[in-house]
Amino acid sequence: MSEAALATRRAAGWGEAATAWLLSAPAAAAYLLMLLLPTLATVALAFTDYELGAAAISWVGFDNFAELLRDAGFMTSLRNTVVYVGLVTPGSIAGALLLALLIEAGTRGRTFFRAVFFLPVVSLTVAMAAAWQYLLHPTIGPLNAMLRMLGMAGPEWLSSSSTVLLSLAAIGIWENLGFNLVLFLAGLTAIPRELYAAAEVDGAGSGWERFRLVTWPMLGPTTLFVLTITMIRAVRVFDTVAVLTQGGPNKASDVLLFSIYEEGFSYFRLGYAAAITLVFLAIVLALMWLQTRVLDKRVHYG
Amino acid sequence: MTKLTRRAALALPAALAMPALARAQGRTEITVHYAQPFIYKDSYDALVEGFAKQEPGIRLNFVTTPNYEEGAQLLLRQAATRQLPDLSYQAYTRLRMFAERGIAQDLTPLLKAEAADPAALGYTPNLLALSQFGGIQAGLAYAASNPVCYYNADLVRRAGGDPENFPKDWEGVLALAAKIDALGDGIDGMWFTWSGDDWMFSALLFGHGGTMLNADESDVAFNGPEGMQSLKLLERMVKQAGMPNLTAVAARQAFAAGKLGMIFQTTALVRGTVSSVGSNFDLRTTGVPVIDPVKGRLPTGGAAGMLTAKDPAKREAAWKFLRYSTSAEGQAMMVKATGYLPCNQISIDDPQYLGAFYRDNPLFLASVKQIPISIPWYAFPGSNSVRVTQVMVDNMARIVESKATPEQAMADMADGVRKLLPRRS
Repeated sequence: MSEAALATRRAAGWGEAATAWLLSAPAAAAYLLMLLLPTLATVALAFTDYELGAAAISWVGFDNFAELLRDAGFMTSLRNTVVYVGLVTPGSIAGALLLALLIEAGTRGRTFFRAVFFLPVVSLTVAMAAAWQYLLHPTIGPLNAMLRMLGMAGPEWLSSSSTVLLSLAAIGIWENLGFNLVLFLAGLTAIPRELYAAAEVDGAGSGWERFRLVTWPMLGPTTLFVLTITMIRAVRVFDTVAVLTQGGPNKASDVLLFSIYEEGFSYFRLGYAAAITLVFLAIVLALMWLQTRVLDKRVHYG
Repeated sequence: MTKLTRRAALALPAALAMPALARAQGRTEITVHYAQPFIYKDSYDALVEGFAKQEPGIRLNFVTTPNYEEGAQLLLRQAATRQLPDLSYQAYTRLRMFAERGIAQDLTPLLKAEAADPAALGYTPNLLALSQFGGIQAGLAYAASNPVCYYNADLVRRAGGDPENFPKDWEGVLALAAKIDALGDGIDGMWFTWSGDDWMFSALLFGHGGTMLNADESDVAFNGPEGMQSLKLLERMVKQAGMPNLTAVAARQAFAAGKLGMIFQTTALVRGTVSSVGSNFDLRTTGVPVIDPVKGRLPTGGAAGMLTAKDPAKREAAWKFLRYSTSAEGQAMMVKATGYLPCNQISIDDPQYLGAFYRDNPLFLASVKQIPISIPWYAFPGSNSVRVTQVMVDNMARIVESKATPEQAMADMADGVRKLLPRRS
């Protein structure tokens, strides 16, 4: 190849690269301005004692993180978040899978049921929280009225420290179920029918056998995606807590995002709030890492 | 359809701007911030109308925030970026922080310039005290509230009580609540708004004659006998009167549904309670039981206008609106639109302002009768002032849930609050 030809090609390569940069510039700029810079600012803030409206700001190193470890309130909120995620994730995944199988097996009303269960996803959580508040009302709520008819004294769902997290988790499951359901339904339709026929030929006749040998393994990638997305969504719980319990009673329903909000916007301790935000960020990143690195290797992609 | 040529279209904005420019010469524009428009909007609308007649040269722009918390955030953010509004109505408890951070301006010279004795304008020492923080007059009280008792006269009657002679002390109230509680059918006797913040705890503490901190604010004082009695009273509400463990929202709903005998909360909710109760039952209000007849006091909630304008012309205009909104006339408008207590002595004393209103709305009277024993809501010093109140609420939750004795809760409460007080060097 001659020198001239190489030069032309190099020029063309440059042109192409420049075009590529130009075309991706808006997205890159948006990413930089809206995501990367604020994140870096948060990281920087986490090492300061900045308070909203305070005249001075000073570098405090790891003081905020040391305080986090000593802060009983933060530890409670971290523990509550873990419990919440631990309840909502299996609950909404198992429930969604079961419902998806039932809807898929049924012959009628598929769209109807899909829409019904998807409604919570598209409805405004804050408005729905008000409805839940009424349903779970200790004295005038329908749930406890039903329990009273059965001769049982219902608990104070949202105001007792022993049930508040359970109640919030139930609402969380209800919120996430529909979303997971739609994902599972999509996963189910993607499974080739011939596999079921082949399984039947091989002697896997019962429904359970077919599920165990075909459906479940074939749903692997879907389940993995649903698992991570549900966990991340559950870690982000905020609306229901802010509307229904404000973290109470005595921090029994305090969660990470609510702690960030309280520290940052009620107490104006932005530096400390930024430190909690970093903890939150670390958890979300760890979950994503878990998805891409660990679980991906074990899932069978058909 | 009218056709616009390009030239005309270009000229249009200029033409529209012309009169505005002409008008602007004799005009001052100021920005006013207030929180909770769902409570206050009607009152400011009325004020704007009245003020426009009096000061046609001043144009008001309003900025609102859904609650006091976000209002305080907004001001702090804008103070950092030097974009403060000219006047802001803030909760009394946040005023101290603004005074300590040098954002609120001292109004004393402005008041003195108008009258040697501010009381002549209706600003009596008691009313001025509501917004004195950090050694300055950090604002002028705009709306005030104190805690009152709302009760369901039908339930009181069913439990064998006399709604016309509601008990005047806690002994009697607890006994009556216990009787209502015993009616069954999901009916509870009473609920005291202990959650949310320290306001209702201070009602009990001040009622016993106690104070939050000692005189020089170096240490807690609420852990004395008065505070201890207050927490024991809270425990008795649960143990003796069967006070249920409810969130504030749930308690209000139960009360409106006729399932709760009495509820102790701010008088600011009278208007809302009347509309949610409707004709469900015979709603009454009365003062909270007097605990110590001599030393007993009650905290005042509400908002005060805080001057933040720097530009002299704007500052003068903002002061004029602040004065108008807290004048006898402005206060009468505010009371009629919100149900809060007036903060101008003239509007309280002179029946031409609110006499007819209180005659027609007797439910508001309970709080008016408590004005003589109302004192400022205590604001804690330092940057942890709001966090302190959460420590109190969390420990009271333990008592309400019977998870701690008043003694244990008090020890933790004092300990927790001490850590949050500013360190003296």
